[in-house]
Amino acid sequence: MAASGATNDEMMDIGGAELDNNKNEKMFTLKKWNAVAMWSWDVECDTCAICRVQVMDACLRCQGDGNRQAGGKQPECVVVWGECNHSFHHCCMSQWTQQNKRCPLCQKEWSIQRMGK
Amino acid sequence: MYELMTMASMMEDSPNAAKRPNFSAISNSNSNGISKTNSVLMVKSGVAKKLVIKNFREKPKLPEDYHAETWKKLKEAVVAIQSSTPISYCLEELYQAVENMCSYQKASQLYENLREVIEQHVKETVEPYIRGVQDRKIFLKEMEACWQAHCRQMIMIRSIFLYLDRRYVLQTPSIPSIWDMGLELFRKHVIGQQLAQTRTVDGLLMLIESERQGDVVDRLLLKSLLRMLSDLQIYQDVFEHRFLQATDALYTAEGRRLMQELDVPEYLAHVDKRLQEENERVLHYLDGGTRWALIHTVERQLISEHLGSLLAKGLENLLDNNRIQDLSLMYNLFSRVKNGLVELCTHFNSYIKKKGRTIVIDPEKDKSMVQDLLDFKDKMDNIVLTCFQKSEKFVNSVKEAFEHFINQRPNKPAELIAKFVDSKLRMGNKEATEEELERLLDKIMVIFRFIHGKDVFEAFYKKDLAKRLLVGKSASVDAEKSMLSKLKQECGGAFTSKLEGMFKDMELSRDINVAFKQYVANLRTDFDSAIDLTVNILTMGYWPTYPLVEVNLPKEMVQYQEIFNKFYLGKHSGRKLQWQPTLGQCMLKAIFDNGKKELQVSLFQALVLLLFNESEDLSYDDIKTATNIEEGELKRTLQSLACGKARVLMKEPKGKDVTEEDKFKYNLEFTNKLFRVKINQIQMKETNEEQKATEERVFQDRQYQIDAAIVRIMKMRKTLSHQLLVSELYNQLKFPVTPVDLKKRIESLIDRDYMARDKENPKQYNYVA
Ligand SMILES: [Zn+2]
Ligand SMILES: [Zn+2]
Ligand SMILES: [Zn+2]
Repeated sequence: MAASGATNDEMMDIGGAELDNNKNEKMFTLKKWNAVAMWSWDVECDTCAICRVQVMDACLRCQGDGNRQAGGKQPECVVVWGECNHSFHHCCMSQWTQQNKRCPLCQKEWSIQRMGK
Repeated sequence: MYELMTMASMMEDSPNAAKRPNFSAISNSNSNGISKTNSVLMVKSGVAKKLVIKNFREKPKLPEDYHAETWKKLKEAVVAIQSSTPISYCLEELYQAVENMCSYQKASQLYENLREVIEQHVKETVEPYIRGVQDRKIFLKEMEACWQAHCRQMIMIRSIFLYLDRRYVLQTPSIPSIWDMGLELFRKHVIGQQLAQTRTVDGLLMLIESERQGDVVDRLLLKSLLRMLSDLQIYQDVFEHRFLQATDALYTAEGRRLMQELDVPEYLAHVDKRLQEENERVLHYLDGGTRWALIHTVERQLISEHLGSLLAKGLENLLDNNRIQDLSLMYNLFSRVKNGLVELCTHFNSYIKKKGRTIVIDPEKDKSMVQDLLDFKDKMDNIVLTCFQKSEKFVNSVKEAFEHFINQRPNKPAELIAKFVDSKLRMGNKEATEEELERLLDKIMVIFRFIHGKDVFEAFYKKDLAKRLLVGKSASVDAEKSMLSKLKQECGGAFTSKLEGMFKDMELSRDINVAFKQYVANLRTDFDSAIDLTVNILTMGYWPTYPLVEVNLPKEMVQYQEIFNKFYLGKHSGRKLQWQPTLGQCMLKAIFDNGKKELQVSLFQALVLLLFNESEDLSYDDIKTATNIEEGELKRTLQSLACGKARVLMKEPKGKDVTEEDKFKYNLEFTNKLFRVKINQIQMKETNEEQKATEERVFQDRQYQIDAAIVRIMKMRKTLSHQLLVSELYNQLKFPVTPVDLKKRIESLIDRDYMARDKENPKQYNYVA
């Protein structure tokens, strides 16, 4: 897989090195850095209180759906934050608010603060 | 001497004659010169009508003694035939005489007279003669000669008396034809005599026994005499029964003896030979009706009786040594007897379970387990294919046995299969072409299919896949995708969705990095953009979890990280990023006395090396404080830099291991024939705890999977009984679960209002939308 840059380590031999006369040059210089970072939703509680599945996973209903995307997520199965700062699967919360307009955790009136993207 | 062929002119051929006597004794021997025309010999056929003799205008008066005179003539002729002397009358005259006798109502008497003459001959000449033969072997030959002579004579006599046979016998159902009368008399007076009969049958049995012991015997004599018994209709009564008894006794004893003396392959070969011999016996001289009972007797005494011992004594050895021909023979022989194949299959199944268990159970053999499994499967498949005729029973038995033994050791086979696949998919595996690799993967999938805890495989497979993707060590995108689609086909999309997610992350990262380069270029700050930063962004949950570590980065790296954070989180709100220093890779430019080099290093190696820009000598503690790298990790890192193949650092005191008292300085005289030098990391051995943690995660994940499967099924079915739901779950889940596990998950989903018990029937569930 060519996604990471560090390949063909020992394959190349350019032979003798061209001499650099710059005496100020450092002993070691960092030229390339292939870093790895993990993203997750910035939530206080990593489990959705409605379906009790981790918010990084698709909600239970989306997992149950036959036609799944890579990762088992529908594109819209993201996290939603309320003004109360509580977060849930957007799918779960939409279902929930059809019956109850309050946050299932703190009972404050539900209004969306932001959506995951 | 007698021109029998002239008879043909008088007789119509009647191939459809209903009553066709058996002239075997004659038709099979050419010596008597009358073998060519069986049709001539047809008697009691429907041709009489056409032979009605017309034009008897009136019956002429006959002399008083005509009858007596005529019979005298005929009797003379019969006696001449019986004594093989010439007949003094011409045949035409004799035919006419018989016809005349019939025309004058003397047929009945003529028949009686004839019978008398024949009986007298058989009783008074043939029987005493044969009684007088003493030697057992000569006896059989003489008996055969007598029989042949009798048949020959009866044919000639009957040809003279043909008119009688046609006119009188045919119309009188109560009396036998002349030929049958002859047989009856021979039976009664010759073979019916106890002594002759016993001597004949004993002689036959002796000859056969001698042939069974390997001697060459006169098969034609045997054949002729046995046909005689058949023709006389006493074959079954006087011979067959005793023959089968003798056969049974012989093979009972032989089976017991040879089971002791021979090893199993020799024994099987012997049985095969015996069956062939007995079949030949039927072909050459026994009556065809004896075949079934004869072969059955051999099979029973040589195979059925010893089934259990043969399998117990020989099967394992044959399978161990891949004795293809012997196994084929065993299958063929066993297929002849009742329960033979059932028993063979049962023992075959136990063998696979026993051998297979030794492959998977011993931790000492873990290194070769998967290859051993593949080889073992190939070997068993080949045996089923070539020796057991690809019988469905055996094919299924192999599957059942593999599934059984492979799950005798939980988790480990799944883990090792995952690692085996990794070794084949990793770059540097040059041993196989694409097609070979593909075939190998297919074979692995067959083994994989037997594993109950498929999610254990997934967890370990994922760890290795992550490594291949992040370090760019995958040998072929096609092979990766192919393996993924095989897994998907085998276990369904839910199983591979996270693995697919990993590939997707790699693709998205490529786009992100293009955008990031653009973003950096547009920043227009005085920021020193000498570092080429690429970040792989992984979705948490898809990938394995890595330990969280914090290390001190140089200022410029921290700056870069912050720029990237700002860029990324600006595009994706609600997310947070967690950097994974353990997975970072760097390329350093280094200046040595002998010239410049590019060093391929891990992030930790880079952090250590960069410290030497500031000072020439550093102690272990200096490095630890500056980098904040965890102790074990730091020691391995320093070891790789100062004790490995490419020693960029020098250690004081020298040694293979790093201690906390060591001092380090950079190696200005570093040489290497390559410009780009990869400094290998020292891999920490996967500890037991790590392995346990992976398994632990698998078991937690199972809870989610059970929940998802229940919701999926209930959403589709809306309403379902407990029993049906559970059986569907067993079909869908790729890991072992107990009914108690399922019950707990169902209860939990009822609590969470995903489903509810039916109000009328508590054993039924309804989906709650
Ligand atoms: Zn949810
Ligand atoms: Zn969803
Ligand atoms: Zn709330």
